[in-house]
Amino acid sequence: MAGKHFGKRTVILLAFILPALLFYTVFVLVPAFGGVWYSLTDWNGVNPAYHLVGFANYREALTNDDYFLDSIGFTLKYVVCMVVLQNALAILLAVFIESRRRTKSVFRTVFFMPNMISLIIGGIMWLFIFTKVLPYLAVHTGMSFLDQSWIGDPKLSFIAILILSLWAGVGYLMVIYIAALQNVPDHLNEAAAIDGANAWQNFRYITMPMIMPAVTIGIFLTLNGSFKVFEAVFALTNGGPGRATQVIALNIFDEAFHNSFRYGYASAKAMILFLIVMLLTFVQLAVMKRREVEA
Amino acid sequence: MRGGAAFRKLGSVLVFLILAVAAVVTLFPIYMGVLNSFKTDGEILNDILALPDRFQFHNYADAFERIHFLRSLGNTALITAIGLTGIILFASMAGYKLSRTPGKLSGFFFGVFILSMLIPFHSIMITLTRIAKELHVQGTTYGLGTLYIGLGVSFAVFLYHGFVKSIPRDLDEAAVMDGCGEFKLFFTLIFPLLLPITATNAILNLLWIWNDFLLPLLMLTDRDNYTLLLSTNMLFGQYGNNEWSAILASLIMAMLPVIAFYLLLQKYIIKGIADGAIKG
Repeated sequence: MAGKHFGKRTVILLAFILPALLFYTVFVLVPAFGGVWYSLTDWNGVNPAYHLVGFANYREALTNDDYFLDSIGFTLKYVVCMVVLQNALAILLAVFIESRRRTKSVFRTVFFMPNMISLIIGGIMWLFIFTKVLPYLAVHTGMSFLDQSWIGDPKLSFIAILILSLWAGVGYLMVIYIAALQNVPDHLNEAAAIDGANAWQNFRYITMPMIMPAVTIGIFLTLNGSFKVFEAVFALTNGGPGRATQVIALNIFDEAFHNSFRYGYASAKAMILFLIVMLLTFVQLAVMKRREVEA
Repeated sequence: MRGGAAFRKLGSVLVFLILAVAAVVTLFPIYMGVLNSFKTDGEILNDILALPDRFQFHNYADAFERIHFLRSLGNTALITAIGLTGIILFASMAGYKLSRTPGKLSGFFFGVFILSMLIPFHSIMITLTRIAKELHVQGTTYGLGTLYIGLGVSFAVFLYHGFVKSIPRDLDEAAVMDGCGEFKLFFTLIFPLLLPITATNAILNLLWIWNDFLLPLLMLTDRDNYTLLLSTNMLFGQYGNNEWSAILASLIMAMLPVIAFYLLLQKYIIKGIADGAIKG
């Protein structure tokens, strides 16, 4: 009787998860495992015949492909800047906004708005700002530092990509930090005020420790998201000038669909991206967990 | 004490000023886009900051035709609707049952769904294009909609799974004793109770699918099937830096639906975003 009951429950479980599992398997799991397989081959995407080449693709990508290695370096630089700047700005905005009474919701609405707009649309709009508006301002308002080749000079286009990404992304983290700030009990702030703490001391010793869990989430989200950055770069510079601002995702995209159509080789690069993201996620979660326990 | 109060007042004004400047910077690109979308290209060249002499509404009429606005909008809406319906329906069923069923098998399947959070889309996109071609879902709006079900369902399962724990078990057990069928029980009794998390899931997935660019770029080849973003991007590719008036008008048009949605349902959207992030 018990066995029969268990069997029935399993059948019902399977019936409920089957549709979700089916779509998920076909469009996520199979491509993931397929990608591992193809990364070990010389498949070119068109020719049905291909051969196993072992780890040759990985070896080539990591030792012989300067564009790919540069794209990893460029992405790392971008990730570090984004993790620091995006979280710092978002916390700053959240703390400032929470200190307002009547203008609170207006500011929140404004700062979150760019997050609603696709990065492709936002990116083209910022391209207009960088190539037309800023040079115009430089000539007509005397702010000559604005007259730069924002998109043509790799150093400056890195900054342009950062500005676009921050513009689009800060509001998202800000919402998370605002939610965290609202959970800080009032009596803590009141006690600090009675003890004569100034605004900075209150932030440093009350606010920051209390929102540390949200900081973990914020860093995790930024780290994960900015490693996969694609659209901001695609819209603004498309990896140029030359390949100076190419990020990993764009390098994979170009390799697979534009330049060589070497699907097997591009799959190996895709697996390297997967491994980097996974490794960093684990390391970061482990570090943050430990710190939270200590605090 | 009086000095302290004055100091605090000064700090408050300073904070307000910083926020105001940041708000101006945030809105500046959108304002410049709107402003210049009503000018001639000559005016954009000569005075980018000024108001237009005469509002060039025909920029919008031109852009409306060039990006096939209604068709692109319809395609985007259809793709989003298919993806969204599938994700909500299938994920709620799976999340509910996984949460209610104890045991190793259930835990295993839940783990399989969670696994996807580690997989970057760029790592599967190459093989996905091939599978989509084999299954004949590449190249059509319907097919693209079903792809989104597969890509989005696992995170939604995760959110539903967590939420179901807050619903008392007595409820479904009583219904089962009444002889209520499992599926009937779910759709009549449980699904309505999941409304808060369904709203979160709907908002997160709607924004993601509506604003997604790369997957449609890989899957849609026929211009008749283009989404708003693909059409706008194509217009930009054709006219590049020469015809900013038309390009800006199309950008504004393409983002209007999202902005309207945001201003109408702001409270729910921001709550949905915060909930999704914190529980994820």
